[in-house]
Amino acid sequence: MTESTPPGVAFVAHCLLNQNSKTDGGARCPGIYSPLVDVLRERGWRIEQMPCPEHGFLGLHRFWLVKEQADTLAFRRHCRRQAVVVAGAIAAHLERGHEVVVIGLEGSPSMGMRITSSNDEWGGRPDAGDSYRLVPGRGIFSEELEAELAERGLTDVRTTGIEHQLPGHDPAVERVQLGSFLEESARGR
Amino acid sequence: MEGDKRGFRVAVCADALVNPGPGGLDALAVCERTGFGVMQLPATWYPEDVAAGWLEQVAEQLDEYLRRGYAVVLLTDAADAAGPAQRTALAAALATIGHELPPEHASDGDEPALEAFLRAQPVPSAAA
Repeated sequence: MTESTPPGVAFVAHCLLNQNSKTDGGARCPGIYSPLVDVLRERGWRIEQMPCPEHGFLGLHRFWLVKEQADTLAFRRHCRRQAVVVAGAIAAHLERGHEVVVIGLEGSPSMGMRITSSNDEWGGRPDAGDSYRLVPGRGIFSEELEAELAERGLTDVRTTGIEHQLPGHDPAVERVQLGSFLEESARGR
Repeated sequence: MEGDKRGFRVAVCADALVNPGPGGLDALAVCERTGFGVMQLPATWYPEDVAAGWLEQVAEQLDEYLRRGYAVVLLTDAADAAGPAQRTALAAALATIGHELPPEHASDGDEPALEAFLRAQPVPSAAA
């Protein structure tokens, strides 16, 4: 770790540093989603990469998922095991007095922070196309991380999500919104 | 993978290279322009249980990339005194699932050397 204290520490969804973890068809660039990294770098924030729950559980050949498909006890246990590690790292930073935020991926069945994907009829032959809905709510991993943090009494970690999977996404607007989020979070120290 | 832009290349990257100090080598920028995604290793000052769990999860995810023919490399920080111990722990985590450490570049801050190492990697079979 660098000796200087950063303005904050951002725990980011795995795929934002590694698009190889995406479901087939979802990678927007070869590796690193640079708009997020650029905003964090410009403000001197530390980056901490969270694991990809879907990659770890279902691998690279998985189909697209909606939250209902992922909402099983086994997947929740897998997410919780990953969340325990992330929460431990968050706690270590908080103990050092760092401001911590979590940046997920809106629309994701596992990493959504405010918006997840839903269709309670998906299942069976994988020919459902894009017939899912974007609905308010967290993804499975995000729920498990929130619960793990709550069990540790860490209830004031701010969260947001990258929206590049959502219709009408505007990268320029997102940069401004993310920058404002980070500045507000840093002021909260 | 129509429309999918993945590079099929993954760099397991020391925290000190993801979060460099002032004037330090920006390994993320090098990885980006050479088409590598990054899997970050835990900070070497993390509590032992956090670091161990983190490395276990890195190893599990690497297993999938290695079995599917992705290129995987390890980027370490030659100046980090705690780096060798972490390297040993990662090797142990990989060994439990039947893998060896991937090709490694221990960075001394030389950006062209890092870029040359990444560009010298063979085309991954998954990308063929």
